[in-house]
Amino acid sequence: MKKIKKNTSLNSNLESVTRRDLFERTGTLLQGTALAWILGSGVSSEKFARASAPATYDLSPKKPHVEPKATAVIQLFMHGGPSQVDLFDPKPMLNKYAGKIPTRDLTTDITSPLESGGLLPSPFQFSKHGQSGMELSELLPHLATCVDDIALVRSMYGEHFNHEPAIFHMHSGRTVPNRPTMGSWIAYGLGTENRNLPAYVVLDDPKNLPTNGISNWQSAWLPPIYQGTRFRSEGPPVLNLESRPELPKPLLEAQKQLLRDLDKNHLREHSNDSYLEGRIASYELAARMQIAASDALDISKESKQTQKMYGLDQPETASYGKRCLMARRLVEQGVRFVQLYIEDQIWDAHSNLEDSLNYSCKKTDQPVSALLKDLKDRGLLDSTLVVWGGEFGRLPLSQTGPTKISGRDHGPSGFSVWMAGGGIKGGTVYGSTDQFGHKALENRVSVHDFHATILQLLGMNFRSLTYERHGLQERLTDQFPARVVSEILS
Amino acid sequence: MQIRSKKTPLIIVIFTWFLFPVLIQANQNAELLTFQKEILPIFANKCLICHGKEPFQGELDLTSLPALLTGGISGTALVAGKSEQSLLIEKVVTGQMPPGESKLSSQEIEQIRNWINIEAPKEINRINNNNTQSSFLQLSKVSEQDVLPIFQIRCIACHGKRLKEGGLDLRTLTSRLKGGRSGPAIIPGKPAESLIIQKIESGEMPPVEMQLPKSVRPPNELELKILRRWISAGAPADLNQSSKVPRNNNQVHDNPDQVFWSFQPPVKPIIPKVVAEHLVQNPVDAFLLKKLESKGLTFSKPADPLKLLRRVYIDVLGMPPSEAEVESYLQDTSRGAYEQLIERLLSSKHYGERWGRYWLDLAGYSDSEGFGNHDGIRTYAWRYRDYVVRSFNQDKPYSQFLTEQIAGDELSDYKNEPITQQLIDRLAATGFLRTTPDPTDAPERGFITERMNIIADEVEVLSSAILGLTVQCARCHDHKYDPISQEDYYRLSAILHTSYDPYEWIPPKKRRIEIGLEKENQEVTLHNEPLKNQIHKLEKQLINVAAPFVRNLFKKRLEVLPHAIREEFEKLGHTPQGYKGPERLRKFNVLNKPQKETNSEINYYLYSKFKKTLEVTSEDLGQHFPEFKEKTGAIQGQLDSAKDKLLPNPYIRTLNDIGGTPSTTFLLKRGNPMTPGKPLLPGVPSILNLGLKPYQIVVPWKGATTSGRRLALARWLTQPNHPLTSRVIVNQIWLRYFGRGLVPTPSNFGHSGKPPTHPKLLDWLSTELVKKGWKIKTIHRLILTSSAYQQTSQINSNVSKIDPENILISRMKRGRMDAEALYDSILKVTGRLNPKTFGPPEPLITQPNNEITAKGSNKGFRRSIYSLQRRYDPLSLLEAYDLPRMTPNCLERKQSTVATQALHMMNGSTVWEHSRYMAGRIIDKVGFNLEDQIKQVYLRALSRKPTQWELKRGQRALIEFDHHWQLRLKKDLVSTPLQWTAHWQALAAFCHTILNSAEFSFID
Repeated sequence: MKKIKKNTSLNSNLESVTRRDLFERTGTLLQGTALAWILGSGVSSEKFARASAPATYDLSPKKPHVEPKATAVIQLFMHGGPSQVDLFDPKPMLNKYAGKIPTRDLTTDITSPLESGGLLPSPFQFSKHGQSGMELSELLPHLATCVDDIALVRSMYGEHFNHEPAIFHMHSGRTVPNRPTMGSWIAYGLGTENRNLPAYVVLDDPKNLPTNGISNWQSAWLPPIYQGTRFRSEGPPVLNLESRPELPKPLLEAQKQLLRDLDKNHLREHSNDSYLEGRIASYELAARMQIAASDALDISKESKQTQKMYGLDQPETASYGKRCLMARRLVEQGVRFVQLYIEDQIWDAHSNLEDSLNYSCKKTDQPVSALLKDLKDRGLLDSTLVVWGGEFGRLPLSQTGPTKISGRDHGPSGFSVWMAGGGIKGGTVYGSTDQFGHKALENRVSVHDFHATILQLLGMNFRSLTYERHGLQERLTDQFPARVVSEILS
Repeated sequence: MQIRSKKTPLIIVIFTWFLFPVLIQANQNAELLTFQKEILPIFANKCLICHGKEPFQGELDLTSLPALLTGGISGTALVAGKSEQSLLIEKVVTGQMPPGESKLSSQEIEQIRNWINIEAPKEINRINNNNTQSSFLQLSKVSEQDVLPIFQIRCIACHGKRLKEGGLDLRTLTSRLKGGRSGPAIIPGKPAESLIIQKIESGEMPPVEMQLPKSVRPPNELELKILRRWISAGAPADLNQSSKVPRNNNQVHDNPDQVFWSFQPPVKPIIPKVVAEHLVQNPVDAFLLKKLESKGLTFSKPADPLKLLRRVYIDVLGMPPSEAEVESYLQDTSRGAYEQLIERLLSSKHYGERWGRYWLDLAGYSDSEGFGNHDGIRTYAWRYRDYVVRSFNQDKPYSQFLTEQIAGDELSDYKNEPITQQLIDRLAATGFLRTTPDPTDAPERGFITERMNIIADEVEVLSSAILGLTVQCARCHDHKYDPISQEDYYRLSAILHTSYDPYEWIPPKKRRIEIGLEKENQEVTLHNEPLKNQIHKLEKQLINVAAPFVRNLFKKRLEVLPHAIREEFEKLGHTPQGYKGPERLRKFNVLNKPQKETNSEINYYLYSKFKKTLEVTSEDLGQHFPEFKEKTGAIQGQLDSAKDKLLPNPYIRTLNDIGGTPSTTFLLKRGNPMTPGKPLLPGVPSILNLGLKPYQIVVPWKGATTSGRRLALARWLTQPNHPLTSRVIVNQIWLRYFGRGLVPTPSNFGHSGKPPTHPKLLDWLSTELVKKGWKIKTIHRLILTSSAYQQTSQINSNVSKIDPENILISRMKRGRMDAEALYDSILKVTGRLNPKTFGPPEPLITQPNNEITAKGSNKGFRRSIYSLQRRYDPLSLLEAYDLPRMTPNCLERKQSTVATQALHMMNGSTVWEHSRYMAGRIIDKVGFNLEDQIKQVYLRALSRKPTQWELKRGQRALIEFDHHWQLRLKKDLVSTPLQWTAHWQALAAFCHTILNSAEFSFID
C-alpha cells in the first residue's frame, strides 16, 4: 500500500523557484521557518534531485483518504476501568439477584477468585436525560446535560483483565507493549496543521505518570517523530524549550547569528543536500516553538467565566479542568491529537465503591462537560472528536477482601465508552450487555472496531492506513477483523 | 472447452461423494435444513474441491453447519445473523475465494448472505437444542490430541514435570492412569467415576487459591465435555506428532530452479572486468563499477583526506579522531598509511563498542523490563552487552558468535565445569533470546497468552536478525508471500520450548544461573555482610514490637472458629518468630505447621482450610491497632533502606535448557493458545533446506541433561552454504556504511522484500565471509579499503540525475550521526569521555529541568553503550535523536529532523556543561590567544583547520561573546575574576556553537 498522498497545495506556488534560489532568499528567522515547512513537506523529491538522504518522515499535513468528519481528536483516557453498571449501563436485575453467586460463565472471568463475592447492585440511581432520554447515573449530572451530543457505546469488550495489557490493547490494538499507539498512527497518517507545535500532545497528570508510563504514547516501530509529546501542565511544557537562565540573552542572540553564518557557509559547500537543509531549518523552527508552545498552554488568556466553567476555581476540578482547557486551546491551534490522563488509577474501584466513584466523577464530570460545551460554543465540536473511556469496565460482582468495603474487580468482557463531536450521531445508545452488565451481548464493539471508527471519522480507512515494516503492511487494527461502527455516525 | 467437459463429471462425482453422508445424516433429523437444501449445493459446485475432504485447505470444512462455525485457521467462517462480519462472505465478495476462474455469481452470494442473516441463527439454535453436547464434537472422534492441550494449559503447572502435587503427573496416559495419592486420575470408559472429572466438576480443581499464583484458569464447559468424551472413548493415547515436511514445500524441492533467490545457497560469482581498472582496489569495486559503467557513470573523485579520516573514525569507532590522531595521520605520508589506519581502528577497543551497539539493536537489548510503572532494572543484563562487545573486538567467527548466543548453555557442562570468563560469556551469550519484556513474574500477567507472546517475540528476534525473514505472520496463518507455513512457524517455536516451556513456565526471576567470577562473588559478599547483620537485628526488633499485637489479633480471629477445633488451633499458635512477604502484606507466622507424620489427615486439612482466616498481616495490624504503625514505623524505614542497599548475588540472565521432556508443541490456530491444532516436533522452515544438512537433534555430550534442540538450530544455521545466514549479516554491515543495504529491506529477504541492488556483490561478500572463517573484520577491510568507500560525498548534479538515490554508489553517502555517535562524539571532543569499559552500566539521573543525563563521575562520562539502557526515560539526548524502542528489536534505524533535537542541543544541560569543560581544557593548552583557541576548537570538533573566513568570523564572535559576559558578570556582582570568567565563558559559547553546527553532526 502506498503512503497517503501528500498535500500538494504548496507545490504550485513554488514550481518556478529552485531550491537554491529559495534558500538564498531565506535569511531571516521567519523565512527560515517557512523554509523548514517547505522542506518538511517534501515538496521536491521529483523536482530537485534529492541527495542521498535516507528515508525521512515528516509532520506536514497529509490528505486523508476521504473527506474527514473530524480533523482533531481529544481522547479523555479514563484508565483504571470505570464501572459501567454504576455510570452508564443500568442493570435492575442486579437488585433482584443481589448477593447471589453468579453463573459458571461469570466465574471463569474473575481475576481474584479468592476475593470474589456475589452480584452487587449499583448504589446509584439512573434517570433519563435530554431529548434522547439517555439513561445515566446520578454520578454524572454535568454530562447529563450533554447527552444529546454524545453517542454511548455499551457493548465494548476487551481481552485482558489486567491494567497494563488492557491499556496497551486500547492504545495499540494488542495487549503487548510493542506496537504504535493510535495517536502515533493518526500523526503519521495526517501530519499536523501547525508546524510550531507537535502533532500529538499528551497532557498527563502532574501527580504521576499513568500505568505503562511513556509507553502509552509510544510510536514503537513507527518513526519516533510520531510519538506523543508530553506537555507538562506546570512549568515549561517541553523539555529544554527555554534557554538556560544563567546565560545572557544578547549572548544567545549573537550565538544564533554565528551558527546561522557557519551553517550557511557549510551549506554553500554542500548544495543540493535537502537533508542538510532540513537540519539547518529545524534550528529556526525550534525558536518558533518556544513561543508557540508557551502561548498555546497559557490559560491566563481565558476569561474568568471560561475558567470557572471548567472548574478551575474549585480544588477538586482544578487540575483536570486545566488540562481540559489546555486541550481545547491546543486543538484550536491545529494540534491533531490530544490525549489526557488522570492521576493514579482513580477509576480502579476495588474497594469503597461509592466513595471511589464519587471522587472520580467529582474530579472529571464538570470539566468534561465544560469541554464539550466550550467546543460547541466555539464551533469546534463539529470538527473535533471527543472520546471518553478506559481500558475496561468492572465486574457486576462485589469484591471483598477480609477487611475491605465492597468494590468491583476488573471486567474486560463488557464496558461502556462514549464519543462526541465531529461525525458522531448525538443522543445514540449503541449495543448492550447481558442482564447483569457482564458481557457485551448485542452489537459488540471490539477494540479494533473502536479504532477503525475513529480513523474513519478522521477520513482514514483502517485498511489503507499502512506502514511497511519487515515487508508487511502493518496497520493499527493489525490483521484482526474490524468494522466501522457506522450506527453511531451521523 | 474440452478441458471443461472433462471436468464436469468429476465435480459431479465429488459432489455426490461428499454430499451423500451429509444428506443421510440430515435425513435422520427428519427435516432438512436450508443449509443442506440450498447452500451446500452451491459449495459443492464451487468450494468443496478444497474444503470438502481431509486434508481440508486452511483446515476449513464446509460440509456441515457446525464445521462452518468451527471454521479454519482464519477463524470461524460464519457469524450467524451477520453476513457483513462473516469471513465466508468477505472472502467471496472480495474475490479471494474461490481462487481461479470459477467465482460465485452475485446471485449465489446473495443467497448465502440471506441465509446467514435469516436462516442460519435459527438453524444453529435447532442443532444446539437437539444435541446435549456441542454438536460438532459428534462429528469427529476425540483423541489424545484434543485432550493433551487441556491438561497442558489447565493442569500441568502443578501436576507435571517440575511439580507433582498430590503425587500426580498428568502429562502422559501412563501417569494419568497411575494417578496420585488419591488414586488414578482417569478410569477409561467411565468419565463419571474418573477423579479428574469429579474434581473439576466440583470446582475443587484447579484449587481456587492456586489459580492466580499459578496463572491458570479452570477448564470451561467445552473442555470438560471433551475430557468426558475422551474418557468415554476409552482414553485413547494416539498422539501423532507430525514431523513430515508440508506438501507445498516438497513441490518446491522437486524444482530447485524455481526457488526464490534468497532461499538458494549463495554461489561465488566471477569477478567482472571493468573499464576503470585503476579504481579497483578489491572485488567490491569491480562489482560496483560494472553497474555504474553500464549507466555511463564511474566513482566520484576521492574524498579529501581529512574528511575521509573523520568518516572512517566515526564509521568504525563511533567517534571522530582526537587532535593528536589528526596530526599524526597528516604527518604519515608513507604508502599504505590508510591501510595501516584501518588496521589500527579495527583493533581498537572502541570498534566493539560501535559495532556491538548495532548488534544490540538486532537483539533488542535493554537494561530494563519495559512494562508496569517502574520499568524494573535487569541487574545483570550487561553481561550480555559485554559479551557482544568482547566478541566483536576478538573478531570471533560469526558462526561461533551465533552458536553461543543460541545455545551457549549446550556447549559446555556448566554445572560441573570450573567458572571462567569464557564459561560466563557462553552462558551470558544466551541473553540474546532473553531481551523482550517479560512481565510474567507477576502471576496475573503470567497466563498462557502472555507466555506465548514472549516466545513469539523471541522467534521474531531470531528470524529477523539472523534469517532476515519475517515469520511472525505465520503465527496465525501460512505466510502470504513466502513459502513459510504455520507449521514451520510452530516447529521453529518448538525449538525454544525446551527453555521457554509455555505450559510449565518459569518466570524471569527464576530464569537465571547464579554464578559469577570468584572476584565478583567476594565483592558482593563483602558489600552485603554488614547489611545482612543489620537487617537481622532490625527484624528481631520489629518482631518483638509486633508480637503482642499479633497475639492479640490472633486470639480475636480464633473466636470465629467453631468451638470444637478452636482448642486445636490454640495449641498450634505460638509467639511469632518471623514473617514473610512484602511490607504491607507481611504475614506473621502465628501457626505451627502440624507435623505430617504425627497428625491425622484431618488436622492437616483443618490447618490448610483455616490458615488464611487466622493469618495476621501487617496491614491487618495497622487497621486494628492505630498505634502499631507508630511503633514500628522507624524500624521499618531503616529496614527498607538497608534492604534497598543489598546487592543480588552475581547471576547470568540465560536461556537454558530446563532438562527433561518439554511439553508437546501444538500448532495454534489463528495464533490462539486456546485453539490448538496438530502437535508438532521441532524443526526449521523447510524451504530453507535446499542443499543443507537437515536440522538434526543430537544430545550435546554423553549424559547431558540438555536436549540439544537449540544447538541443532545453531549448527543448521551456520552451515557454510546456508542461504541466509551470511547474506543477512553482510547486508547489515553494508547498511551501516552506505546507509542502505544491498538488500534494501534488511529484515525481509523474502518475496515481499526488495531484491538486492547488487546480487552478485552480495553473494561474493557472503561467500568470502564464510571462506575467511566467518571473520567479520574481513568484510570491514574489504569495504573500508575499497575505492567506493573512499569517494567524496560531494554531489555532482550530473551524477545525481542518473543516480538520484545513490543506489549505484556513485558517491559516498552523507548523513547525520546516529544518536550514540553524536553523544559519544560530544564526549570525546570535549574531553569528557571516561574510557572505562565493561561492567555495570553508568546510572542515569534526572536534572532539575527534567532532562535525563548520565550521572558521570570525576573521571567523566562513559560511552552511551555503557550507560543504562532504560526503556522508559532513556538519555534525553539519545531519545531526541531517534533512539529506537526495541519492539522487540530494531533492524534499521529511522532518522527524523525535528525542532526538539535543536532544543536539546541548544538548551540542554549536557551540551553546555561539556562545552565549558572543553573551553577550559583549550585555555589550559593554548592560553588566551583567540586564533589559537579557534584552531583548537576546529581541530578537536571538526578534525580540520579553520579557513581564513572562519578564523575572522570566530574572532569577532569571541569578542562579542566576551563583551556580553562581562556585562552580565558585572551586573551580577560575581566573585570570580571578571575577565578570566568572561573569556572562558565566551570560548565555551563558541565551542557550544560549533557542536551545534550542522558540520559537527554530519558525516561527510
